[in-house]
Amino acid sequence: MKLRGVQQTKWWGVVIFSLAILAFPLVVTQSFFITQATFAGIYAIIAIGLGLLMGYAGQISLGQAAFYGIGAYTTSVLTTTLGWSPWLSLPVALLVSGLLAFVMGYTMSRLSGYYLAMATLAFGIIVHTLLVEWKGITMGASGLYGIPQLSLFGMTINQGVPYYFLVWFFVLIVLILSLNIVHSRAGRALRSIHDSEIASSSMGVNTGQYKMQVFVLSAMFAGLAGWLFAHMSYSISPSAFTFDASILFLAMVVLGGSGSVWGALIGTLLIRLVGITVHALGEQFPFITSDFEHVIYGLILILVVIFLPRGLFPTITSWFDTASIKRTKKKEALAVVPVKRSIS
Amino acid sequence: MGDFLQFTLTGITIGSIYAIVALGFVTIYSVTKVINLAQGEFVMLGGLTMFSLVSAGVPYWLSFIATIFFVTMIGWLMEFILVRRAKGADAISLIILTIGTSIFIRGVSSMVWGKDQHRVDSFTDNTPITFGGASVTPQAIWVVLIMLLVVALMYMFIDKTMIGKAFQASSVNPIAARLMGISPTRMSSFSFVLSAALGAIAGLAIAPIIFPAYDMGAMLGIKGFSAAILGGLGSAPGAVIGGLLIGLFESMGAGYVSSGMKDAITFSIFLVILLIRPNGILGEKTIGKGGL
Repeated sequence: MKLRGVQQTKWWGVVIFSLAILAFPLVVTQSFFITQATFAGIYAIIAIGLGLLMGYAGQISLGQAAFYGIGAYTTSVLTTTLGWSPWLSLPVALLVSGLLAFVMGYTMSRLSGYYLAMATLAFGIIVHTLLVEWKGITMGASGLYGIPQLSLFGMTINQGVPYYFLVWFFVLIVLILSLNIVHSRAGRALRSIHDSEIASSSMGVNTGQYKMQVFVLSAMFAGLAGWLFAHMSYSISPSAFTFDASILFLAMVVLGGSGSVWGALIGTLLIRLVGITVHALGEQFPFITSDFEHVIYGLILILVVIFLPRGLFPTITSWFDTASIKRTKKKEALAVVPVKRSIS
Repeated sequence: MGDFLQFTLTGITIGSIYAIVALGFVTIYSVTKVINLAQGEFVMLGGLTMFSLVSAGVPYWLSFIATIFFVTMIGWLMEFILVRRAKGADAISLIILTIGTSIFIRGVSSMVWGKDQHRVDSFTDNTPITFGGASVTPQAIWVVLIMLLVVALMYMFIDKTMIGKAFQASSVNPIAARLMGISPTRMSSFSFVLSAALGAIAGLAIAPIIFPAYDMGAMLGIKGFSAAILGGLGSAPGAVIGGLLIGLFESMGAGYVSSGMKDAITFSIFLVILLIRPNGILGEKTIGKGGL
């Protein structure tokens, strides 16, 4: 039975998406693009989590890179200094980021709006400073190196196509999980919180609990991305987990369209594509320096907000929706004999 | 004791700059409800424009006026070209818009002024004055004096002039203000002009102390934003108090613990205060969803 207002996961979207993942390494074989696509997958995991937080729980986080960094550093310390297996450190990395988010969410439950945004920003800066300054564990600004590669059934997952598949396998899991959450009772509750917190809490939705759960979930996604990032690269340093990175994740969600799981994914791909394109242009034309890349990047952010204030994905789907509504209206007009109605 | 006095003086100097930046945030926020994260770039532009003019041999008083005028024009253009066209966007999108603008301005500035820090001579002879075991440079005194002057002028302007009253009216109740014939677009434009001017003043005052570079805006913007939040977003006295407090935390943290840890210490204290007073020290009048 289909209820009005109840959205269901469109599985054909997931199938097309999986096929695209499988086809990509067959079509594009340069290792540069495979590496970029792997990075895009790692960022997509963070962006999907942040999208859930922003679009569904209506909260803004300017410190998502902190959880990303905590995930990466947890696994790096455990595998290099203590010699753990990477698979064993995965649950620990998830747990540490989730737990920290829980503590943070618990203490900051009284904050909202810009106050919460600034608090997450402050948290991000504190974590980054600690990564640089806590030299006994993090080795300071130079970072940790010698992080082991992942292996599965005795085979090492090398950087390149194998790691690409591993990362996008996780993206797929995160995507399906998020789509199911969004289209469940919890998702509807979250959407109602986003629209009006007061209305939803008076309808009996435990707003605080739902918001906390999404916050912890988004932090765990970021932790997972950090784990994937650490084992992809041989070394990590605090420079990957700055305020700029948090802003980048935010931009991915906003560009794609917050309030849509697919939007976050598409936003991520778009931002990476812009980065690669501008970089390639820079190699082609000498007047496009790395500074000029920033100029173009800033310009794209500006243009998207001005021309697509709702983000890319919702705008495109609404085009399709209006087109299909027009089509069905035409059919109805042909099928139904017009009846003269009195003007009421 | 000498150390404490020294750290306090340093804190007040840098805090004065944060206070002016925070006032810029509050000015735009109270009228347009936009958080302008490009506020730090106004400060950077102020400092670097000052450098260019002074090194070209323009006298100081003329450089002040020209710098403020130039940055004010940038602020006006930003509102006219960007913010006005994005009226339909929600608050988070508008933040992204201002971040995009700040990345854009930073990129252009690094192309114009390069990536080096630039040296600007201080306004007057800069031999430090010592008293009570602490030393203070005349430029630091200039910075504090300029901050006090800015606060006094802002107060007079907002409270005593007709356009200031209109400004206040449209921040308290935009619809009623509109019914009284106050144009919201003009007020929005005016708030950007005013806060760009504030940024320029902060930039030219601090230029001889911190040697401006193209990337100084980001951290100044964040500190200014946190000062505005700490005082209670939308409250001008709160912004000044917040700015001075952030400056003091920073210099105490750098002095007593380590300069590498100063940001972690500053923001930890910031978080603790925010936990005790979730709407800032002076509190915001319109709480709602915290401005979102």
